[in-house]
This record gives sequence, C-alpha cells and structure tokens, in this order.
Amino acid sequence: MYACVYSAGSPGPVLAAIAQQFSPRYETRGDLVVVDVRGLDRLFGDARAVGDELRREAADRGVRVHVAIASTQTAAVVLAIARPGVVVVERGKEAEAIAAVSLQILGGPALVRGPGLSGPADGDGDPERVAPQLEMFRRWGLKTLGDLAALPADELSSRMGQQGLTWHAIARGVEARPLVPDVEDERFEASLELEWPIEGLEPLSFVLTRLLEPLSLRLEQRDRGVAVLHVQLRLVNKETYARRLELPTPMRDVKTLRTLALLDLEAHPPAEHTIGIDRVGIVIDPTPGRVWQHTLFARPHPTPEQLSTLLARLGAAMGQDRIGAPVLVDTYRPGAFGTAPFATVHDDHRGMGRTGRMVEHTEPPRPPHPAPTAPALRRCRQPVPAVVALSDSGAPIKVITHRRGFAGGAVLRAVGPWKTSGDWWTDGWDRDEWDVALSDGASYRVFLDRASGGWFIDAILD
Amino acid sequence: MGSLARADLETLLHTKKLDRTLTRADGGRPELEYASTGHVGLDARLSGGVPRGQVSELVGPRSSGRTAVMLQMIAAATQRGELVALIDALDMFDVESAAACGVVLDRLLWIRGLVMMNPGMCRDLNQRAVVQAVRALTLVLDARNFGLVVFDVGEAPSDAVRRLPFTTWLRLQRMVEGTSTVCLLVGSDRLSRSPRGLSLQASTLRAAG
Repeated sequence: MYACVYSAGSPGPVLAAIAQQFSPRYETRGDLVVVDVRGLDRLFGDARAVGDELRREAADRGVRVHVAIASTQTAAVVLAIARPGVVVVERGKEAEAIAAVSLQILGGPALVRGPGLSGPADGDGDPERVAPQLEMFRRWGLKTLGDLAALPADELSSRMGQQGLTWHAIARGVEARPLVPDVEDERFEASLELEWPIEGLEPLSFVLTRLLEPLSLRLEQRDRGVAVLHVQLRLVNKETYARRLELPTPMRDVKTLRTLALLDLEAHPPAEHTIGIDRVGIVIDPTPGRVWQHTLFARPHPTPEQLSTLLARLGAAMGQDRIGAPVLVDTYRPGAFGTAPFATVHDDHRGMGRTGRMVEHTEPPRPPHPAPTAPALRRCRQPVPAVVALSDSGAPIKVITHRRGFAGGAVLRAVGPWKTSGDWWTDGWDRDEWDVALSDGASYRVFLDRASGGWFIDAILD
Repeated sequence: MGSLARADLETLLHTKKLDRTLTRADGGRPELEYASTGHVGLDARLSGGVPRGQVSELVGPRSSGRTAVMLQMIAAATQRGELVALIDALDMFDVESAAACGVVLDRLLWIRGLVMMNPGMCRDLNQRAVVQAVRALTLVLDARNFGLVVFDVGEAPSDAVRRLPFTTWLRLQRMVEGTSTVCLLVGSDRLSRSPRGLSLQASTLRAAG
C-alpha cells in the first residue's frame, strides 16, 4: 500500500520530512513524495485514517497537500495530482479510480521527470517533448486515462514505441517499477578516544566490546547483520592503521565479532606494534539479517558464528593456507589437490531420507564402493628417493630407501607400469608408476621419473 | 543438609563446566549413541558403530587398511549430512582416494599439519608441530557439533607422539564427553581412548573395550 503526498511547488525536503514521520521507505519525486505505508494500519487504523494523519502532519508544518492511498504507486501518484483532499482506492480498483482523470496529466512534470514511475522514458525529463504525442491522443479522440487504457497495448506500442506502453501502464494504474527509497542504509559506526594510549590486544578487547555492544543492539533493531567489519586504530604517532574483515555470513554477536577482530589483528599487527593506540574506531557495512531455521530431523551443525571463529583461530594457529575444504582439480597430475574456504553455512537436509526422516545409523548409507577393499593412499608431498632393483622384464624386485621410517625390502608383488605424463610446457611430469607390496608388509606406489631416471616413493597404500 | 551440600557442589561444578564428570548412584551409565562406520560388517561387530561422545582409536601398521577404514568413516559421516574435521598432522591426505571413497568434500574441514616423517636433526620442530596439531584438535572439539573429528598421526614418528603429556588425552576425553561427536585418533601405536571408546586394530579389525 502506497501513499502519495502532493503539494504543488513544495520543496522535496519538506515533503521528505513529513514522510519520515511515517516510514523509512519513501521516495521524493519533485513536488510529491511516495510513502510505503504498509503496516501503518495497526498504528493509525484504516487507510483513510493514515491519509488523514499524513494531511494533519503536513498542515502542522504549514503545507497543504493532496493525499492518495492505493495499492500501486502509479494510481496513488495520479490521484494525488488530480484530486484534492484524501483519496483512498481499494485494491483492484485502481484503473477504475483513475479512468476519469484527464490525459493532460501525462504532460505534468511529476509524471515525466525522473526518477518517475514511468521507467526509462522519464529520463527524457522534458514535458515539451511529450506535447506532440498528447496532441496526437487528442486528435484520436482520447480525453481521459480510461480512454487510453481501453486501447490495445500492442497497437499502441507499434505506433508510439516504449513511451506508448509506459503511458498505457499508467492509464491502467499498474506498477511500473518498485519503490526506490531515498534514505540509504544507516551507517553503523562508533569510535572511542582513549585518555591513555593502550598497548597490546588484551586491553583492546575491552574497548572493542564497548564499541560493538551498542552497534550490535542497533543492528538487531534494524534486522541487519555485519557484512564487513572495519577496525580503525589511530596510533600515538597520528598514523591510522585500518583492517577490513569480510565475514563469511552476516552476524552480530558481539563476542564473535570481537574475537574475529582480535584474531585478525593478531595475524596482521600494525608495523609499529609497540606504539600505543589512542583512538579506536569501528565501521560496519550492514547487510540484511540472516533468517535461520533449524530442523528437528538433522543433527545440529556448528553455528556460522562458531565456525567463523573456529576458522579464524585455526588460521591463526596453523596458517590460513593450511585449512579449508579439499577440492578435486581437473588434472591428471598425481596427488594434485586444491582447497576452498570451508563454508560456514551448510544445508541441513542432506542427511534426510525422501520421507524427510533422518537417516538413522541403523540404516547406513550405501557407499559408492563396497570399501574398504579399495586401497586408500597416503601421499608423500615430497616424494621419497628410493633405490629400486629391476628384473629382466623391468619390474621392481627390491625397493630400498635410506629414509628413517621406510624399511624397504624385496618386492612380493608388483603391478604396473602405468605411464603418465603432462604439463610438458611448464613443470611437467613423466612417470612410470608401480604399486608394490614389500616383504616388510608395507605397500607403496613408486615411480620412475623418466626425466631424471630416479626412483621415488610417491604414496603409501593403506 | 547433605543434599544441600551436594546441590551446592553440583552448582559449582556446573559453573566450572565440569558437571559432565558427575555420576549418579541411582541409575546405570547412560546408553551410548553409535555412529555407523559405513561398513555393514564392521558395524555388526561393533554393535552399531563407533560411540559418540567418546574418544576411540584406530591403530595399525603401515598398509594395514587403517586409512581405508578412516576414509570410510568420514564418507559415512559426510553422507549423513554431518560436518567432519580431519586434523592431518603429516599432510598426507589424498583427496582422490577420499572422493573415490564417497567423501562429500565440501563437508570436510581439512587441517594440514606440519609434522614431518623424517625430521632429521630437527626433532624439536616436529614436537612443536605435534603440539600445534593437538591444539587444532582441541579448537575443533571446542567448536562442538562436528559429527566426526579425526586426528591422524598414522605416520608420525612415534617418539614425537609419545612425548605428549598424558594429560593431553585426558583433556580430550573430557572435551568430547557429553557431546554427539565421535573423536577418532589414528596412529600406528596405541594412543588413548575413553573408557567407553573403542580401540580398533586395523590388522584384524578386532574391537576391544
């Protein structure tokens, strides 16, 4: 439901001030303002009561206004311009309500100038440009919006192009585009000047908590979460050290945000980390809050906040490049792998059966292979040099290494060779691979590097 | 008076998050919940699988099949929709083998350690890396709600693991108790397990405990 408040010649800021008293979602268009009044009926009563309140608010500010309330912006704008007082249109009767309005309204600046309701043609922004077309309507015998709405849209489009379709939509009172609220997202920022400079992360923790708590409360009131957290530290040498922390999922939990900020600062301390901090600032880029619905049928997962904190802690402890989700890469290179950031939000429904019931442990899922018969490998990221004796046929008969932990021994069984090569244009590989079972009980994947002629243990079959 | 003192003590333990150590004289031990290993025959011999909320161990010599069993358990957990963490102390995990085993890779948090099979003269370096891997394990257990957490030191030099304080394993047992997480230690020698956990010997797949 939209209300349009129109006052010829009134400045936009005055109308915006009136709209702000009713809703944060409003859009000013020259000398009118369109307000999203959905939900206000619970506060003021029916739509007419809302209209009366809008008019009263304007009168208190010394402005005489027309108010129209309709389920489409188009009908509200047309009626607010054309009819004085308060007009309320029932849902579905927009076309009927504006049918009697003169076609001359289409030449008015409110319907021509942007960002108006009639789409791209508004960009022309010149009422004089549309005058010949309105004259054409007059010659056709059209006088009201109802006359225009009765014309077939495709015929109108073939004669007048996009502008004709836009006017046809206005005449029928249908929505041309969504409301684009004037007010940008509220800024969420806070800062604190410190009487005495602080050094180290521990005292900073208390300061961050103090800054984040009111911000978190405001975010909760606006149903927003933190998308990006900016931490700005002004050092006593007047330099500012800033960190930008992108969060994997919207969150507003103070403890989590503080921990993530501290872990990030711990991993990336200021170059002059011995210098004290005399001002701490937090700026938050907000994003719509996360709607989280748990299921009764699947096991709970760690929450995104828990996972984000865990990943940050693990990254600080092990190194960011050493944690993640494994990824298969599209190559034949033996042992190749990739890692991707571990997602903090997972689908809870994968563990359910078709009936929506949780798959119980008494009904184990069927693996794609009847393992554990399939051998699994343990890769040696750095292949272990080996000495391999060969038979007359070229098969390994003995494998020895000088590395501690690899005993070696006679080959009881050997399977191979599998010849593999690739990436010859860069740091490629060219191998003959064998799987060997040794007399010491171990099984290895060994290979002959054809470029160097050396033998290596590539993996342990386990 | 006695019950009041007991209530006070229980409240204190609850405040210190030590209430899981409480035992009740009136009832027996609570029923354990089991997680399937993904292998029907193994589940049948283990009375349903590996117990949740307990530390279990999977040990065996090289090429005994312990990695295949480990991957099978990871695959089963990820196919059930659970999240799995693998602390791969020696960075030997083979992604292709895991994918072939049916592991849902995007549900596996892979933490690659820095322990070396052959540290040479840098024994202390290895010791620090093992401690670092244990720290990663405690962080993961602390996050809770992972279905399966695997600590793989299968190829680590035994001296590096043995030098860990015994209290390390006790602490891990306390962290897992009362949760729905299966904590699995994979090694070449016996490491540790909870009183109600399992010890799986890969050579014979015989359960003890």
